[in-house]
Amino acid sequence: MPRTYEVVYIFDAALEDAAITDTLTRVHTLLGTGDVAVEHWGKRQLAYPIGRRETGHYAIAHFEAEATTLPEYERALKLDEGVVRYLITLHEHEVGAPPMTEEEIAAGRGRASDDDDDED
Amino acid sequence: MRRPQKSCPFCETRVRFIDYKDDRTLGRFLTDTGKILPSRLSGVCARHQRQLSTAIKRARYLALVPYIRGHQA
Repeated sequence: MPRTYEVVYIFDAALEDAAITDTLTRVHTLLGTGDVAVEHWGKRQLAYPIGRRETGHYAIAHFEAEATTLPEYERALKLDEGVVRYLITLHEHEVGAPPMTEEEIAAGRGRASDDDDDED
Repeated sequence: MRRPQKSCPFCETRVRFIDYKDDRTLGRFLTDTGKILPSRLSGVCARHQRQLSTAIKRARYLALVPYIRGHQA
């Protein structure tokens, strides 16, 4: 059963845009799905230095893939020197989720007021 | 003593899922040192506080939000 994932990559900021696109297409072919939506945030200041790097090139990808294809894909990412960090998360419930309704909020509030007795 | 009820800022804006990539929003729920703000101070409801803590931890790993703020190495 294919599942929907969201991946955030942090690439070395010293890399050329072409090299980043090449890496992305190369690792995404390992997933066995054609349509991968990639969104580039571009160069961004890191909140803390990673190694000697102060900036990173952020890219976000959305795709549907079989879970069995992920280990090989992850291995390729780990081996790639240009990828500083990556985070794969399931992105299933978020897709097309409507905003919370009044009833849901009221239900949560009702429950919270029962066990909400910790001291301040 | 019962503390006054604060309303959850995420419920007010009808947020269903807190996005870990939205560092501007997450930053509002961090202390000056970068700790996660307790819900008794921010008024975030239990459901959103659970989502928020996961989101902040993911954002920290991705260097969108600092682990510690104001630390000179």
